[in-house]
Amino acid sequence: MTSTLVAARPTAQERVRTVLGAAIPYVLAVIGAFLVVAVIVLALGHNPLEAFRAVLTNSFRNETGMVQTLKKWVPLTLLALAFAIPLGAGRFNIGGEGQLILGAVGSVAVGITFSELPQVVLLPLVLASGVLAGAVWAGIAAWLMAQFKINEILSTVLLNFVSFEVLDYLASVVWPDAGAGGAVTLPIGAGAELPTIGRPPMHVGVLVVLLVAIVAAVLARRSVGGFELRAVGLNERAARVHGVRTGRVAVVSMVVGGALGGLAGAIEVAGVHHRMLEGIQSNYLLLGIIIGLIARGSLVALPFVAFGIAVLEVGAGSMQRVSGAPAELVLILEGLILLFILMSDVVVGRVSARRARVAVT
Amino acid sequence: MEFLALVITAMVPFLFVAQGTMLSGRAGIFNVSQEGLMLLGAAVGYLVSLEFGSNAMGLVIAALAGALFGALLAWATTYLRMDQFVVGLALFFLSGGLASLLYRVVIGQDQPPRIKPLPDVIFGQDVLVIIAIALSIALWWWLYRTDSGTRLRSVGENPKAADSLGIDVTRTRMLAGTIGAALMAIGGAYLPMAFSGVYADGIVAGRGWLAIALAFFGGWRPQFILAGSAFFAAMDVLAQRAQVVGIGIPHQFVSMLPYVATLLVMVFAFRWAQAPMFLGKNYDRESRIVG
Repeated sequence: MTSTLVAARPTAQERVRTVLGAAIPYVLAVIGAFLVVAVIVLALGHNPLEAFRAVLTNSFRNETGMVQTLKKWVPLTLLALAFAIPLGAGRFNIGGEGQLILGAVGSVAVGITFSELPQVVLLPLVLASGVLAGAVWAGIAAWLMAQFKINEILSTVLLNFVSFEVLDYLASVVWPDAGAGGAVTLPIGAGAELPTIGRPPMHVGVLVVLLVAIVAAVLARRSVGGFELRAVGLNERAARVHGVRTGRVAVVSMVVGGALGGLAGAIEVAGVHHRMLEGIQSNYLLLGIIIGLIARGSLVALPFVAFGIAVLEVGAGSMQRVSGAPAELVLILEGLILLFILMSDVVVGRVSARRARVAVT
Repeated sequence: MEFLALVITAMVPFLFVAQGTMLSGRAGIFNVSQEGLMLLGAAVGYLVSLEFGSNAMGLVIAALAGALFGALLAWATTYLRMDQFVVGLALFFLSGGLASLLYRVVIGQDQPPRIKPLPDVIFGQDVLVIIAIALSIALWWWLYRTDSGTRLRSVGENPKAADSLGIDVTRTRMLAGTIGAALMAIGGAYLPMAFSGVYADGIVAGRGWLAIALAFFGGWRPQFILAGSAFFAAMDVLAQRAQVVGIGIPHQFVSMLPYVATLLVMVFAFRWAQAPMFLGKNYDRESRIVG
């Protein structure tokens, strides 16, 4: 440590030490979670090594596995960002599901109504209306939070349930597809579909999300808004004392989160289903929250964590086929990774406190 | 009459879970793992009832499983002072995953056998209906008319003041968090016993999250939660009816009512619907900042 008052630039050695210090608990938590699950697999009478090999390699064995993984990675990354950005300001957005559905609603509404328009006009319109609808949906919760101090966990969860009914109404009354069983809307116009690349085809939404993830990570680190976001999350009172408009930062973070959730819905419609259907939200909200919490607010780590979770999700079925270990184990594995990472915080805190005491005496 | 009977049955899971949420919330622990705990309660309750042929046994073991998770949450947020929502969400995933896993391991992919429904005891209602209503009244009386209940509320409102008066904040929170979670699991266990006879991964269908809404809707007071759960259940039954026979308005709008009504109550009755001051906040007796 230097004795000057201005914080010195960390040396290369110090940097390596901080990165390692952050990485080691992570690695231990992941290993610990795998070990616990291995014991469960053994107890159920299956071979854990076989199970883990199946779950981890399925995405990399051929192009189909990789495309499946990327198709999951797209909504997972967006919903994890939708959760993590408000979390940066200390707010819990549990409404990613509803924001995704409203995004899907916005994009099918445009995609069906203006289905004759050419792609150049229609596709951007479809994506933009999805983003807007998601932002408005989260904006309701943000407004209730700022104006009436209504707990955002409560309002976002309630809006999720409202969104299910909106979806059901639109898909079974307003634009129902008579030929399909269940609540499914008519298909969107051909001009509203995202183009695909490669073989098997992968929609270009993956590039959009890559760009979004990079921009979000850079802005969080380098922009004034990102700095204010972190300041509010770390200590709201201190931020306010130093002139950050904390209420506005929290509201904006919720709306941005909602916009990303809406984008996820728009991409699911324009890139994957080409229509809206019941259950379009899958379990992305749950996984998005897991990813956001595992990444612990680091928007740089988040897309990588999302990829890891996508690999596990895609591999779950293959694990069941190959080794006979039930696919539900993957959810346990994800939950344990999260719990162990959270616990490692406590352990790290205790260890460094003890070191500090030893250093003083 | 038949409508009323349906509402009363639909009310029971809401009531158990919302009162559990209220109980731990009143001590300052904001549990958000209801959805997973209900699923765990449903799976454990179903499997144990099936194994031993006794619904009572199923309920007890389900309550114990819930209590274990509740104790874990309370321990992590009092002794370790970890973030309540983050730990709550982690436990939500774990309990939900554990529920599916237990079911899959025991039953597999076969057609599941049905368990016996709970027997009627009085007015054609089963015993949990009576317990749920009695519990609500007892909780009201305990929280507002006894010393120990008032102490519990003081821990949720101002733990520092409570601590200075010699109330053991940590112990109160451990107890309230554990018992509250046990009630949530009982609410989940009721589902296969009263409605379906079998367990399915979608059996809870958002009731856990709704119970949180219900706690806010009822202003964190047991007597109003009782009334609120009747309203939620009535809308639930009405929406199902609208779906089958049609009542002039699309059933989706009927289903929306409880959610919209909760938001409206929060907006227009925010003074009345006050949550405990320290809801979701951990207490650190060495910290000099209050709040």
